[in-house]
Amino acid sequence: MPEASWHRVAAVSDIIDGEAKPARVGELEIALVRVDGTIHAFEDVCPHAYALLSQGFVEGNEIECPLHAARFEISTGKVLCPPADRDLQVYPVRVDGDDVLVQIVR
Amino acid sequence: MFLRNYWYVAASVDEVKAKPFGRIILGEPVVFFRAADGMAVALEDRCPHRRLPLSMGKLVGDDVLQCHYHGLRFDRTGACVRVPGQDMIPPAARVKAYPVIERYKWLWIWMGDPALADPSQICDFHWIDDPNWGAKGDYLHVLANWQLVVDNLLDLTHLAFVHETTIGNAALVEHAAVKVQRGPEHVLVTRWIIDQPAPPTFVKVGKFTGNVDRWQIIDYRPPAFLRLDVGATPTGTGAPEGKRVGGISMRNLNAITPETETTSHYFWAQAHDFDVKNAELTDRIFQQIKLAFLEDVDVFTAQQRLIDLNPAAPTIDINADSGGIQARRIVDRLYAEEQAALTAQRTAAE
Repeated sequence: MPEASWHRVAAVSDIIDGEAKPARVGELEIALVRVDGTIHAFEDVCPHAYALLSQGFVEGNEIECPLHAARFEISTGKVLCPPADRDLQVYPVRVDGDDVLVQIVR
Repeated sequence: MFLRNYWYVAASVDEVKAKPFGRIILGEPVVFFRAADGMAVALEDRCPHRRLPLSMGKLVGDDVLQCHYHGLRFDRTGACVRVPGQDMIPPAARVKAYPVIERYKWLWIWMGDPALADPSQICDFHWIDDPNWGAKGDYLHVLANWQLVVDNLLDLTHLAFVHETTIGNAALVEHAAVKVQRGPEHVLVTRWIIDQPAPPTFVKVGKFTGNVDRWQIIDYRPPAFLRLDVGATPTGTGAPEGKRVGGISMRNLNAITPETETTSHYFWAQAHDFDVKNAELTDRIFQQIKLAFLEDVDVFTAQQRLIDLNPAAPTIDINADSGGIQARRIVDRLYAEEQAALTAQRTAAE
């Protein structure tokens, strides 16, 4: 049975507007980005060539891969242009005081 | 691929003398000399008569260059002013003249449309002749494409490997995050190392007694200007916020000029803001960096040999390549823009 659990991954104050914050839950690499006041979490590894998206470029609700310029919609994980060919996994986010928690199902 | 509408460093000012010398810039032969009034002159280094380099000739009078082959003479505007043995000068007898400016101990040349040559666009390298800095520069001829040099200078992670025994510091690679920022015509690669012991060379010149905040900031401007800002201040004194007190800083200054698609002119200098009048120290720092640069040159040269052998061999990119990749994307875009403007000009002319 898959099990969902919440994990603290960052402090709210660690997340700077316009920048992606990398975080980990076990081996899982996650990127956190605030867009219009809402924090979003998505898988940090670009499905194309395994670059870390958190080292890429945030522009509004889009993030661009630092290496080959694939773009994704931050709030939905939707792939917007090649060379990536699939959407990113996104994770539910909850803010509890200064803690940012993400929900992982495994 | 060359960007033409930019100022490039063509020579060190000391190289430009009354005796002409030739250098290929962006695939074009250029002859440089200094006229009697002290002005530097750059002309196409190819006699339009039988294509001998004019740099094999000599200066006659104040500013007239005479071809070594048949004695045709050209003034500093590139106009032919004498053809031995005949009175008439053919109307097409002229060579191209390039705008040049001496600044920061370098001779800058404009290889593009002369109407666009605006000296205010010259990249700032004031540290080279600023009295508040000690500086020393050099020239290296590199058997590699200019963009390989740019890639190298935008990449901090090779330090621990290529420069293991010179300026490398393996500990930095693993523990400090590199941040890449970009704009339409710049890339900034920044690494901060906060509250760590200063490396021995820094302790020696900076007299640090405790931990320091250390920075490495690489500023790239197209086509190929890289200004590296490195330094340290006592930890907690505000350097990350922009307030630098009680520390030391150095600039590693690089201007790469394409010679051909596979060879480059590499002008560089090292500047420091401590003990600035100490020429012996300036030289010692310069020599240390030069050792490291020669290690890089070995790398570019070997890369170019394999690129020539099989340009289509596949490569991969790793996270550390982001700065270099952003720079290449800027160059690609600017090149496309220049080509589109040229096409538009040609269409308008027809």
